[in-house]
Amino acid sequence: MSMLNRRSFVKLSGAAALVGLSATTVSRTGFAADKGKVVVIGGGYGGAIAAKYIRMADQGIDVTLIEQNTHYYSCPLSNWVVAGFRDIEVQKWGYEGLKKHGIKVVHEQATEIDPATKTVTTKGGTKFKYDRLIVSPGVNFKPMEGYDAEAMEKMPHAWNAGPQTVLLHKQLSEMRDGDPFIMVAPTDPFRCPPGPYERASLVAHYLMKNKPKSKVIILDPKDKFSKMGLFTAGWTKLYGYGTDKSKIEWIPGGEGGKVTRVDAKTMTVYTEMAEFKSSCINIIPPQKANAIAEMAKLTDESGWCPINFDTFESKIHKDIHVIGDASAATGLPKSGYAANSEAKVCAAAIVALLNGQKPGEPSYVNTCYSMLSPTYGISVAAVYKLQEGKIKEVGGGLSAADASDAVRQQEALYNESWYQSIMADTFS
Amino acid sequence: MHRKKVHMLALVSGIMAGGFLLSSTASAAEAGATAAMLANTCAGCHGTDGISGGPAMPTIAGLPANYLKTIMGEFKDGTRPSTIMGRLAKGYTTEEIALISDFFSKKKWANAQSHANSKNATAIDAAQAAKGGKVVADAKCDKCHEDDGVFQDEDTPRVAGQWLDYLIFKMQDYKNTALKVPQEKKMETAMEKLTLEDLIAVSHFYASKK
Repeated sequence: MSMLNRRSFVKLSGAAALVGLSATTVSRTGFAADKGKVVVIGGGYGGAIAAKYIRMADQGIDVTLIEQNTHYYSCPLSNWVVAGFRDIEVQKWGYEGLKKHGIKVVHEQATEIDPATKTVTTKGGTKFKYDRLIVSPGVNFKPMEGYDAEAMEKMPHAWNAGPQTVLLHKQLSEMRDGDPFIMVAPTDPFRCPPGPYERASLVAHYLMKNKPKSKVIILDPKDKFSKMGLFTAGWTKLYGYGTDKSKIEWIPGGEGGKVTRVDAKTMTVYTEMAEFKSSCINIIPPQKANAIAEMAKLTDESGWCPINFDTFESKIHKDIHVIGDASAATGLPKSGYAANSEAKVCAAAIVALLNGQKPGEPSYVNTCYSMLSPTYGISVAAVYKLQEGKIKEVGGGLSAADASDAVRQQEALYNESWYQSIMADTFS
Repeated sequence: MHRKKVHMLALVSGIMAGGFLLSSTASAAEAGATAAMLANTCAGCHGTDGISGGPAMPTIAGLPANYLKTIMGEFKDGTRPSTIMGRLAKGYTTEEIALISDFFSKKKWANAQSHANSKNATAIDAAQAAKGGKVVADAKCDKCHEDDGVFQDEDTPRVAGQWLDYLIFKMQDYKNTALKVPQEKKMETAMEKLTLEDLIAVSHFYASKK
């Protein structure tokens, strides 16, 4: 045994497991849902996919999805709604499709996880036992001085899609011509790294048409951001970036962009050196894993959930897996596509484990589009593998810096198709 | 322990488990990630099991494995122009591309279908489709794309019932000589002869066939 390397050992046990499995499968033919219970908390880009792909791979596993809302609003493409060229209804999805896979969908809020008794409890007091739990709760905001629940209604974050998205669009459309659209960007890491900059672009596009005296001011604690070269080149081309007529002004952390507090009553944002006032302010606070993950002590000091990259099982609690934005999947961005990909790795691992097999080797992909105008799209796409214990990019990259207008337009159209396909993958 | 011995043991276990498991055991151990693991990551854009939900993304379910391998190989080595596929294909080995291609080739084709939230999908126009039918007959597209584009073989993909916007995009690319899209000589000749308007009509024709 001592001479066996890890890979050989996996091969051996894999072969042995297959022997065991074939016997199990034969004896259990005709019996449904007796291989174990999986409970999934959160029905978004991560959780819905995990639930579906477990059922697609093995109908002998009982899957319950706990999601507090009866409908889901997609964050990807919701910036189009903010900028007024997309209806929020197109962002709305239901859970009927998932039920067809035999997933039990429960619209309650999960409020407690007990790793000792392997039980999830909802706000209504219902208890769900699990063999394996998947937590895909999304993000919550870190405290920011002056930004409470009341302030969110005056200075929307619109970082969870739905009513907040609609509210921010309303404020933008009612904004006085000449007022700046002020956006406060978050510190790393946060959900959707290019998201704030896509939003700034599309709002600038809106302003050109509707509020010619206004511009976007981004107050950023960071000195660089995702797809930065492509964004700034596009801004130069589309919005006069870098000139005194620019529709977008980006103030990085090093030049006073760091916001220290906000005041919703006076609609003011304070940086270390200055204050900014407007009738339309968008605050995207720093983020951490959502409340249920924190309550269940699945998070570490970073605020995110440490996990094993091959199974997404928590490093803190056994038999609990964390996927999506809440997980600390170092190497992968916090994007919808990454959540989809993580969910599939996690689903395959759980199916293997509940069948007494070793989880196989993972493969991950991210494909993420951003819009600079309704006809100008850019993307980042990459394939990742688990190598020497780390998630490493093995191929991929950004849209070409010198791409033609036709290519930018094609990527804008691909963005819409990306959305249709990934939503069909998630909800049907 | 030597590699050879491991194989011996795996082989013995495989026989014990039943002969049919032998090949899968051996290939899974050799290839790393399984075909399903690799292929499911494509579904975010190409839809579950390769049935696309978006008008500009092709459905790849049920297409010939060899065709998929060829196209992916061309994306990987950069000979086939693309916005995104060239970047992604470089992340896979030739063996992984073969696994992914085989996986999708075994799935069942489904004609393009818009759902309630679909936006920006170009609608199939009956007059355009009728015009396209005549172009197809004149240009003899049906010599290879037989049965109104339903036919497929190792080098020819099914085009009937494919997403219209995707077909239009591809026809524009094939027509654009500057892009140097790898294509059969017969395709190249047809592209020279036909106008972009003709090719858009041809796209409507094939998209309308089921």
